[in-house]
Parts: sequence; C-alpha cells; structure tokens
Amino acid sequence: MTFVSSDLTRSARADRPRTRQSFARRLREHWWVYLFLLPTLVGYGLYTVYPLLASWVYAFMDWPGFALAGTFNGLENFVQLWNDPLFWNAFGKSLLFLVVAMPTRVVLALLLALWLNSRSTPFKGVFRTLFFLPVVTTGAIIGIVFTLLLDAQGPISLALVWAGITDTPVNFVAHPDTSLWSGVAVWVWKWLGITMIYWLAALQTVPTDVHEAAQLDGASGWQEFWRVTLPLLIPFLIIITLIDTVSALNVFDLMQTMTGGGPAFSSEVIEIFIYRTAFAATTPQLGYASAAAVLFGLLTVVLAIVQAFGIRAARGMMPGGNS
Amino acid sequence: MTQNTHDGAGAGISRRRLLGTAGPLSVAGLLAACTGGGQSTEESAQTRDGTLQWWDQFRPLTELFENEMFAPFMQEHSDLAIERRQLDAADLGEALQVARRSGQMPDVHSSAGLGTTPAALISQGWFQPIGDLVDVDSQPIGESIYEGVHRFGGELYSVPMFSGRLHDATPWINTQLAEQAGIDPEVSPATWEDFRSAVKQIDDATDASGIVLPQKDAQFLNGFVTWIAQTAGAPGAIDWTTGEYQFATPPFLDAIEYLKSFQDDGIMHPSSPSMGPRDARARWAAGEVGIYMWGSWIIGGLTVDEPESVERGIAAWSIPRQDSTRHKLTRGPGAGQFWVNADSAYAQEAAELLALMSGEEFQAKLAGAMDQPPALLDSVEDADVHPAYARMVEHFTEDVRIAPVPESGNPATWKVVAEMTDIHPNVGEIAQAYLSGASDSLQADLTAYYDAMNVERERAVEAIVAEGEGEDVGVEDWVFANWDRESDYTADDYGSR
Repeated sequence: MTFVSSDLTRSARADRPRTRQSFARRLREHWWVYLFLLPTLVGYGLYTVYPLLASWVYAFMDWPGFALAGTFNGLENFVQLWNDPLFWNAFGKSLLFLVVAMPTRVVLALLLALWLNSRSTPFKGVFRTLFFLPVVTTGAIIGIVFTLLLDAQGPISLALVWAGITDTPVNFVAHPDTSLWSGVAVWVWKWLGITMIYWLAALQTVPTDVHEAAQLDGASGWQEFWRVTLPLLIPFLIIITLIDTVSALNVFDLMQTMTGGGPAFSSEVIEIFIYRTAFAATTPQLGYASAAAVLFGLLTVVLAIVQAFGIRAARGMMPGGNS
Repeated sequence: MTQNTHDGAGAGISRRRLLGTAGPLSVAGLLAACTGGGQSTEESAQTRDGTLQWWDQFRPLTELFENEMFAPFMQEHSDLAIERRQLDAADLGEALQVARRSGQMPDVHSSAGLGTTPAALISQGWFQPIGDLVDVDSQPIGESIYEGVHRFGGELYSVPMFSGRLHDATPWINTQLAEQAGIDPEVSPATWEDFRSAVKQIDDATDASGIVLPQKDAQFLNGFVTWIAQTAGAPGAIDWTTGEYQFATPPFLDAIEYLKSFQDDGIMHPSSPSMGPRDARARWAAGEVGIYMWGSWIIGGLTVDEPESVERGIAAWSIPRQDSTRHKLTRGPGAGQFWVNADSAYAQEAAELLALMSGEEFQAKLAGAMDQPPALLDSVEDADVHPAYARMVEHFTEDVRIAPVPESGNPATWKVVAEMTDIHPNVGEIAQAYLSGASDSLQADLTAYYDAMNVERERAVEAIVAEGEGEDVGVEDWVFANWDRESDYTADDYGSR
C-alpha cells in the first residue's frame, strides 16, 4: 500500500487558509481548553525547559558556587572535562549501568508479565501488587534499606556464608567489584513493577484469535511467543526501552544513598559526579558541573545516533530487509 | 510499504506548532526575565518583616539556642521573632548556595558545609561586619579573635563560639563492654599497640566488634587519617616550618596501614565500609561496637538521641600515639561559627546575638550542652557535664596546640585557596581505596597526591599574581619558621615569623 504524497500536499496547501482560520476560531471558541493547558506549559517551562537552557548557558561559565554569577570562559570547561579521568570514569559507569540494567529490567519484566498474563497463574492480583510496591517506595529509602540488607552483616551476605557460597561475609555495597552491580540489581528490582505494567498493557493488545490460530496450527508455546506474540509487541518494546533508558540515567537518589559513588569512585555515575562538582567540592563549580551534564547528554545522543545507524544497517543486510 | 502522511506540516501555523514553539519560548523568556539570569539577587535588600531567620547545623544545641538564647532575646525585643532552621552540615552548605542565588538568605547562619574560607565568602559579599554594632574586643573572648579568621581588613565579622583546642578522633568507649573484657575504661592506652590490644580484647571477650571505622564518607576519612598521622609524628597536613605538604611522609603511610590492620585482624565492625559517621555512632550506641573514634560532640548528640547509651556507660580515652613519644596535635584557632548576612535588615540584633554567644554566661551553658568545647575552655570546669566530657577536655588541653593560619599571616592567601581546584583522589579517597582493596599502591597514590597538590598550589599562586590586582602572595606565605608544635601559635607570633 502506498500513499501518494503529492496529492496530500496539494490538499494541505488548499486547506492552509482554512486551517489557520479554523485554529484562530477554535482558539476563540475553546479558549478554556488552552487555559487548562497553561499550567502544564508553565510547569514544563519552569522545571524542564528553563533548567535545560540554563545548564547550556552555565556550561560556558566559570562559576564558583559562592558567587552570584559566573563569567564567560568559552570552551574551557569542556576542555578540562575532556582531560578529567573522573568524568570519563563516571561516564563509563553510567553507560555500564545503562547497558546492563535496562535490558535486564525490560526482559525480566516481560517474563513476569507473560507469567501474570497466563490464565493458569494463581493470585495474579496479589502478585501484581507485590511487584508494583517497590515502584511507589521512595528511592532514597530503598537505598538506605538495601545498604543494611547488603552489608557484611546483612541477611543476604549471611545467607551466602551459611550456604557455603562465600567463606567470609561480603559487603556488597562497599566493595569496588560489587558496588555498581548492587545498585543495578536494586534498581532493576525497584522499577520492575512499572515495566511489568507496561508489558501487561501491551499484551492485552495481542488479539486472542491470533493465538488460537497458532495453536490450531500446532505451534508450541515457545513458537507461539517467538513468532506471534513477540513480533506484535515490537512497537511496545521500542517505547518501553526508551522509557527505561531514560530511567536508567536517573539513578542519583538510589546510588547516592547506597554507595555515595564509592568506594574509590567504583560506582560514581555521572549524576553523582555532577552533584559532587556542583555542591561537595571545596569550591563548588557550577559551570563545570553544567558542562559535565551537557557533554554527557551530547555524547549519549551521539551514541544513540550511532546505534540507530547500526540497527538500520543491520536491517538492510538482513534478507528481505529494507532501510 | 511506504507511507507519506501529512498533517498540515509546513502549512502555516498549526496548533501543534504554535504550542510547540511559542509556548515554551515565551515561558522561557518570561522565566529569564523574572530571574534576570540569576543575578537579580544582587539588588534584593531584605526588609524588617519582624522575623530574624537563623540557620545552623547544631542539633544537640537546639534547646540551648531556643530556650536559653532566643526566648529571652525575643522577650527583650517584643517586635522580633527568631525563626531557626536546623539542617545537617552538608545540607546546610547546599541550602545556603541555593538561597544565596535566589535571594532567600537567612539573617544569620553558620558556614558549615560551605567548605571554603570565610575570606572567600566575604570577598563575594556574603557577610557584613559587626564590629561597629557590638563590643566584643573588651570581653574575655577578645583574646581568641584573629585577623584572617574572624577579622578581615580590620573589620570584625564573627566571633569564636567553640575552642580551637580539639580534635575529631577521641576514642569513645562503651564502658560496659570494656569492663566485660577486663579493661579499665578510665585508663587510656598510651600507644597504637596498646590500643590495638584493647580493641582485640573487647572483640574477643564480647559479642561486639572491637572498633568501628566508617569508610563510606571519604571526607571524614580525610580528616581522620590526618589526625592519626599526627599521632605518628606528622605536624599536620602541612609542616608550617617549611610550608611543605606532608601527605607522602611515613606518618601518613603508617596511619593508613594502622587503620587497615584492624580490618585485617578482623576486629573492626564488618559493616564499617558501608557506614557514614552517623551510622557508626548509631551502631556504637546500639552496643554493636566497643570503641568509636569521633569528635567531641558525640556525647551531646547521644544525650539527645540515644540517652540510654550514655546511661549505660561511656568513657573518653586520650588519642593513642604511635610510640611513647607524645606528639602534640595541632589545629587552627576556633573559627567563627556564625555570620551576619550582608543584606540582613537585622544586623544590629544579629550582632547582639553573636556577642551573647561569646559571653561568659552563654559559654558556661554551651559547655553543659557537651557539643564542641566552648571558646572559653575554663567554663567547662564549672559546668554540669558528664565526667567523660570533662576528661575529654582535659585530654584536649594536654594534647592539642593552636597552629598558624596562612590567612592570618597574609590575607591574600585565601585567593590562592579559592583558586585551587580539588585534587582527586585525596587522602581520604586514597585511604578508602586502600581499605576496600581497590588499590594496593598506597605509597604511590600518596606521592601522586602530594605532587599534584604542590603543582596546583604553585599554579594557583601564579594565577593570582598574574591577575595583576597587586596581590603580593607566594608559597612562602605557608611558612611559619618560628612555629613550635609544642606550643600555641599566638597572634603575636605572626609578626615575628
């Protein structure tokens, strides 16, 4: 099926005066709709657009946190960042967190949703509630609780010793080899419930007759999932991945309370680096911290674009694929 | 399948485009106009609205401040209400930075959590002088006022509330556990080895751990290691006779190795690596640990938060030395705790409150609160304090001497300090890495930090001189050749260095 664009373009051009007139009229007639939109717009501008723009401006300033305003210093902050090993350490930790935690959360939540979507699963409502509870619990509280659960005297460590898996108690949150992974595990556990809800909603959109047809054709459970369910869930997968990706880059409360970025910067994600630079340095550097946020954002966008091109190229190479 | 759909795009101003562009832009423009890019606060002078705002971090002093100072003061000034806000030190520093930029500064606040020197803050217009509003010089506290610490350019800005004669590594003993282990809690072990034996004895003889060392907060470790290094002979982070940093010297190395030995011997609380200082205090109070080394304020805090741990039995030991040589520990004079905001409309009242705090009557009450020892240290003798607190103050009197401060020798040094950027990993982070096993090259890490600090100080000095504002400052301003760590460095000594 192909839509011919030129016809539509002509049609749109013909409608242009009418559309403009129509909008002006609608604005007059339904002004209250736009009035109701105003608080959202103001809130969005106040808490999203303004900080975003401000951070770009600050990134080009030498601004000690004690001064009322900074002075323009061009690209100096970015040059300094480029040569700051702790920035790259934090950058790497954030990306590592992302590439491990996000897919884990998406896949585990899907498996959970499939299980809870099954007709044979008992107590579905109870399980859904249980898995969703951590979502509505404050991240900082969870961080503090898990610091106790995961320390050397916590039940997890003691259980491992009891089971003979380790000889001595392990302080998971304070060991350089495990601190980041502790954060990943707790983050996945905390947010699993919301991704599970997304998947459950997505599963409701898969028509039952498609499943029945597959079963009539003799498809096994795995074939039914792989060849029927999963392809129909792909659009949702993209959206859910996007949402979880953004979430995996916002882990400050959890990591700050669990590890504080330590020990020895082993779990210092980019948000903690920015916080430390902006508030906890001997002389706080607002410009430098803003530049770190901007540079991290830019590098993440570059990586996303490279990834998108990679996916496109891979599709192109697939038999029957198009780009 | 190819789909080309058109939604009127490019056909004039659609509703979506209008909302998508004009809305956010106008909001952003409006906001920028409202805030003036964060600079409008320069013009915001506060008005006398009947309330004096007061921010500090002294939770154990809540009752003292509110009942003993604010309440009588408000009775005398019936048109004035004092609103106090208490925050943790780190939170206070952040809150002040934000408040400063948004024009919501309190009239009086402590400088905890801000990290930088008062001189740097004064240069940025944070505070106003109080010397013309109250007479402090004629009071006993006048002897403890230093140029570059309380007085800047001849103007008095603050007064010391606490004594400088203290350190943050007093061993606090759970006497119940000590007695259970057959240790006399009133007798301080003299050396590191004696101390380690006592810790081991508690660990072996009781269900509790011998000692706890919170390692989560690298800033805490930074200060703590410096104190322990001083007990091994280090003159401090800087040797004032030469102006040299000391981070790569044997005492620092020995101090970190000594701390690690408790961990290696299995007599340190196993959760130490994931604890901050307050967590460690809570575990100590809960009876999980025999000994916790922290500041003088611990007993005042426990009296408020966990009084049963004080009633159970608490003792304070003298800080142990590496060997039989009783090296003195050194620290700068008692800093100004409270400052009056430059825009405050209640400068007179604020100055009067600060003067009250440095008076003998308040200082005696301050001793009773058992926070940091009061600036007038003698008032502890007559105050109703716990015997462990009184013993601790005796230890301080014997062990701690007042060190010089570069800002007092040459006020321009603050600019160098402000120009210096933080070097990482610092001593605290190096210790954290070594204790956690993230690094085993302790000497190399300390040497790298020492080298980097020297380079950074020299760079900062050159940068300040190059600014061409006539600043006569150099690395030699960190040298006090007449300094003797066995005695206090007094205001008179600056002139003869």
